[in-house]
Amino acid sequence: MKSRWADDEEDAALEAQRKREKEEKKRLKAEKQRKADEAAAREREAAQAAAAAETQSQDAELSSRPAKRRKLSPEPREPVAEEEPRPAKLLRFPAPEWKKCRSVEDFEKLNDIEEGAYGWVSRAKDSITGKVVALKRLKMDNAQDGIPVTGLREIQTLMDCAHPNIVTLREVVVGEDTSKIENIFLVLDFLEHDLKTLLEDMNEPFLNSEVKTLLLQLTSGVSYLHDNWILHRDLKTSNLLLNNRGVLKIADFGMARYFGDPPPKMTQLVVTLWYRAPELLLGAERYGTAIDMWSVGCIFGELLTKEPLLQGKNEVDELSKIFELCGIPTEESWPGFKRLPNARSLRLPKNPVTQGSVLRAKFPFLTSAGSSLLVSLLELNPARRPTAKEVLEHPFFKEDPKPKSTEMFPTFPSKAGQEKRRRRGTPNAPVRGNVPEIKATDFSGIFAGREDEEKGGGFSLKLI
Amino acid sequence: MSHLSNPLATAEQLYKKASVNDLPAELQDSILFFTARLTQAAGVLLRLPQDVTAQANVLLFRYWLVDGLMQHEFSELSAATIYMTAKISASPRSLRSITNVYAYLTSPNSSLSTPNSNPPPDPESYYLSESTYITNRNRLLHIEGQLLNALGFNTHVALPHPLAITYLQALDVFAASRSQKGKSAGTEVGKRAIEYLNTALLSPQMLYLTHQPCALATTAVYLAARDKGVKLPDVEWWEVFDCEREELGFLAVAMGSLEGVVRREMERWGEGKAMITRADIRGEMEKMGTALGSGGAAEVEDEEAEMARLMDEKVAAQ
Repeated sequence: MKSRWADDEEDAALEAQRKREKEEKKRLKAEKQRKADEAAAREREAAQAAAAAETQSQDAELSSRPAKRRKLSPEPREPVAEEEPRPAKLLRFPAPEWKKCRSVEDFEKLNDIEEGAYGWVSRAKDSITGKVVALKRLKMDNAQDGIPVTGLREIQTLMDCAHPNIVTLREVVVGEDTSKIENIFLVLDFLEHDLKTLLEDMNEPFLNSEVKTLLLQLTSGVSYLHDNWILHRDLKTSNLLLNNRGVLKIADFGMARYFGDPPPKMTQLVVTLWYRAPELLLGAERYGTAIDMWSVGCIFGELLTKEPLLQGKNEVDELSKIFELCGIPTEESWPGFKRLPNARSLRLPKNPVTQGSVLRAKFPFLTSAGSSLLVSLLELNPARRPTAKEVLEHPFFKEDPKPKSTEMFPTFPSKAGQEKRRRRGTPNAPVRGNVPEIKATDFSGIFAGREDEEKGGGFSLKLI
Repeated sequence: MSHLSNPLATAEQLYKKASVNDLPAELQDSILFFTARLTQAAGVLLRLPQDVTAQANVLLFRYWLVDGLMQHEFSELSAATIYMTAKISASPRSLRSITNVYAYLTSPNSSLSTPNSNPPPDPESYYLSESTYITNRNRLLHIEGQLLNALGFNTHVALPHPLAITYLQALDVFAASRSQKGKSAGTEVGKRAIEYLNTALLSPQMLYLTHQPCALATTAVYLAARDKGVKLPDVEWWEVFDCEREELGFLAVAMGSLEGVVRREMERWGEGKAMITRADIRGEMEKMGTALGSGGAAEVEDEEAEMARLMDEKVAAQ
């Protein structure tokens, strides 16, 4: 059989040529070697003669020394017979080990932090190293299926991640009694704040420079995830942690999973409602990284105003809030959206408002670069949303005010560190199960009655 | 991150496996081989993508470097591993399907037995009653917890299969033979390389636990090209794929020796043996005159003594 590396006539000719060249080289080398040898021999002779002369001039009792001395002096360098091929530089992979889980008894519980949709979190101290960590206990809901897949996926994806803006999973520990594995705890970095609680307690929203720092860190973490084929699928302010040094870390990977290209069929029941992208609400089964970018857009808006951007009461209400803010999709702006499962039953107004105009009006203090970024993140058509990499390059981050360095970030008193957290009001990520169907819904009323709205007087030229 | 690399067994783990399991080495080999083969067969019947089955087999061997071989019934451990691996993949399988498949594969009618030893078809021999199903299911779920605990919940497995294809592409093996009519030599080599990699999963030498995917892929490419008579570059091309000549040589021998391993197992347990059980192993031990709980230690000492002697010789030779 033939291959690119097989010998044919041309190869044979080449081979012969190579051989000739090789022989020529060999001959030249031998010649050189011979010359070098001769030279060395001459040198040696000369040295010997000199040494002999020296010996003669010295006392008889020291006659044995020259030989010794000669041995110590550097020999005329031996010509290297064959140049050793340098060992190739091969890539070596770090090879971590696997070993049995430690017991949770190795940790000393300090205080509870919160109860999330997927487990309880408490602050604890490693009694061996003294390090303070967050212990997250996995909920064991469906005992029918063994250890819940959400928990396993969270561990699987987090363990593969190493990025400054993603919370580090140090290890997994289990309850003392290992005859039955029921109590599973994730040992995570402890961070003082989550953005949600912080925003609630702040009197003034973050400064523009601070928003940029936070958004950059969030996007850089998301970019890392997407580069590594992980979808987070539940980005929201309560899942973003912040430490007292201004470092933001993405947490809670209970919804995360690996995806592929082309994306596999995945459940649409992901992402907390207020941060859920329109294609998910419309029932798309194949979706991609753009759903995380939509959530980033929602978080951007929330950082600017302290208020969640799109607080829908249910799927339908969320969709109408989205359309109100971002405009109505058309075949032109979002080709094919009508074919999505839940879009068929929608009745949309005929006179769509241009996308972005309402949004721009809502954030009057944002520069044009800032609002163009926000508008692009909240594009209804997922294909038109920027990727995380593109966001990192956006001019918004290059114009003044520049992102504040994390060292200069203000600090806040930590609730998680000291006191029990009050329950928060955001809805939780959807639970696995049946997908609620969006029934035939009439959206034509969203912009109805717009004529009745209060209109400013403005001014006009009066023709007399 | 590590789509290309795996955690590897430590020297201590490998040494301990030899000493903790009070089993003669050849019986340990039998357990590893038969269980891996069972997992592979179950993966086929469950129509799982091969990457899930392969990952399950790697995780199964990793488990055995932490817990003893005789801790759980082999077939149940295999079933629990495949269940857990499929659960976190994109192709989960129900406990019902898995228990059914394993009941069939461990029955006398198992497709793993050779045809001539097959008894007449008897579906009742692999029928699972509801109560048996529930007992089996609960046992699998229990083992799942033990498995994850032993692995420290680290389920990451990088496979060499896609790498092997990439390497063949880099070596231009597919392109060069595409012009030819009929069977493409490149495709043949690719198929052969994948066969080597899948077969290596069954190796009692636990190659996937001691070598990184790049080395396994390189070796499979090397052997496949040799088998199909496709010429590869004269230079040391394996270095491009981060594999040393020595490692390549070791793995080539190891992968090539699988045929012998299979023959030896078939001789020991008989052609028709579908799967061995813990009871089989205990029976064999009795036949050998060593009861469980003794015996192993002396053998280990011998090995150690031999190692010391070899090292002495090496030092002396220098």
